[in-house]
Amino acid sequence: MTVKEEVFKKLREGVIKFEKEQVVEAAKKALEIGIPPLEAILDGMAAGMETVGELYDKKEYFVPELLMCSEALYAGLDILRPHIKAEDVKVQGSIVLGVIEGDVHDIGKNIIKMMFDIFGFTVHDLGRDVPLEKFVEKQLETGSDIVALSAMMTTTMGQMPKVIKMIRDKNPNCKILVGGAPITSDIAKNYGADAYGKDASDSIQQAIKLMSELKKEIKAAK
Amino acid sequence: MKVSSLKSVKGKEHSHDDTMELTPKERVIGILKGEDIDRPPCFSGMGSVSVHAMEGIEWNEVHKDAEKMANLARASQKECWMDSVVVPFDLNVEGEALGGEVKFYEQHGTESLLYPLIPKKFVKKAEDIQIPEKLEDKGRIPIVVEAVKKVKDLVGDEVAVGSYVLGPFTLAGQVMELDELMKMSLRNPEELTSILALLKEVGSKVADIFTRAGADYITVRPMGAGTDLLSPRLFGKLVQPVLKDLVEGIDNLKILHMCGTATPLVEMLHDCGANALSFDHKTDLSEARKILGEKAIIFGDIDSVKVLLNGSKEDIKRSVIKALESGVDGIMPGCDIWPLTPCSNIKAMVDATRKYGKEKWFRKSKQGGVNDCERRGVQKAS
Repeated sequence: MTVKEEVFKKLREGVIKFEKEQVVEAAKKALEIGIPPLEAILDGMAAGMETVGELYDKKEYFVPELLMCSEALYAGLDILRPHIKAEDVKVQGSIVLGVIEGDVHDIGKNIIKMMFDIFGFTVHDLGRDVPLEKFVEKQLETGSDIVALSAMMTTTMGQMPKVIKMIRDKNPNCKILVGGAPITSDIAKNYGADAYGKDASDSIQQAIKLMSELKKEIKAAK
Repeated sequence: MKVSSLKSVKGKEHSHDDTMELTPKERVIGILKGEDIDRPPCFSGMGSVSVHAMEGIEWNEVHKDAEKMANLARASQKECWMDSVVVPFDLNVEGEALGGEVKFYEQHGTESLLYPLIPKKFVKKAEDIQIPEKLEDKGRIPIVVEAVKKVKDLVGDEVAVGSYVLGPFTLAGQVMELDELMKMSLRNPEELTSILALLKEVGSKVADIFTRAGADYITVRPMGAGTDLLSPRLFGKLVQPVLKDLVEGIDNLKILHMCGTATPLVEMLHDCGANALSFDHKTDLSEARKILGEKAIIFGDIDSVKVLLNGSKEDIKRSVIKALESGVDGIMPGCDIWPLTPCSNIKAMVDATRKYGKEKWFRKSKQGGVNDCERRGVQKAS
């Protein structure tokens, strides 16, 4: 195994086994030996996170494990991200993200945020228990392409149609992504969302799809 | 068993099922004791009010005023005819008594509403938990106590009065940052065990306070500690032992309600020693019945949003029949009834239980009924 391969393996496995120290060391090593930071993130840590997602699907990992993995990943991200050159970023997009009012369950939102961070989105995280008008304000202020709404309780997801309408009234071009434990793709459709993210990796796929739709719409408008 | 005489019931309630022998209260208490009853009850161990049951309800206020709380609970029962009334309606009572600041939302009308919550978490380690000496005076505990007494006055001896406490892990989630709690379960299980032991004490005390106030049964709610978040292994190691301590120590009839996917946990939950278990639609009830056998008393599992709030009367009826055919002993919503649910929907659930309860109840189609099913812990509880 070459030194480079060794570093990728350590990044990957460090995330999977939530060995924060190992990830930090490997991230430093990656910079030292000249691995492009974006490559280290995507082929190293993000690849590890993909395996974590599979383990979660197979019910070998649960939420505590997921959070530990994500913590390890962030430790590496903190080291690598400052070294990414703007022109290397594959996805150009910006997103407003938050858990809607009445809901403090932000674990899922934080995991999604991590995925957006990995993939190079500019993330405006509003946190949790976010008053509905905050989403509208932040979207207008930042001109973000996507607003991602999370609700983890059946009692709070009922607010989604309201906030979706509020956003659309102000900016009909903005794309809306919804997710959270009680939501299904049918519910998302009924609520008038553009996309539904089943889980973290699905959300990122959906967001990338929304970005390409946006580009097409902008082209068509021209 | 004692059969109430309909004539003797002063000011007989709408809620009284004329075709049946027992009062709602006798039915609920009877099934919890494992006695032979006329038909499965339709009741809840959790919030079961509709803001449509009363004019001029301000959802924000009902949590803070014993009279308003009791009146809404009573009015909902009067409109919807369930076999129980339950107070309180929110999940912050214990957390608040420990020092958490509850956020109540300004809301107007009955178009949308939000439950109160504790936004700022204040526990990071066991040391941060100070159980107040006079817990019964803290936060809204006196209000709930008063509401239990008032609602008992209002329903008389007709309707069962329930209250609830959170499971220790769930209470931890109310007072700690959830991600810290989750990570602690792997990183520092010893510390978490100390935290859970303290929170179990709080649950025990609060359950005792509500019992002394007159609650006929207590529901223990370990929501969020199931397999949607934790592995069954971790549940068994960290959550179940302290949950069992809590349930066993409650000197009242008790229901253990687990929402979320709990099929892999049913034996561990049963082992906690409650008089009955209840589940939501994410748990396979026929499977739970198969695992636990006929002795166990099981309630469930009407989806409170998809079916009860948004479903048609036909959906509700089908869901009740399906639950009965899966082997439940009582129809119960899978979670708190969403307070915007139309009374007519809740009543449709009650109606379907009245109509099909006896006929579709597996115990009635067998020889012997519930009497054959000696329940563990029955003597102790009664």
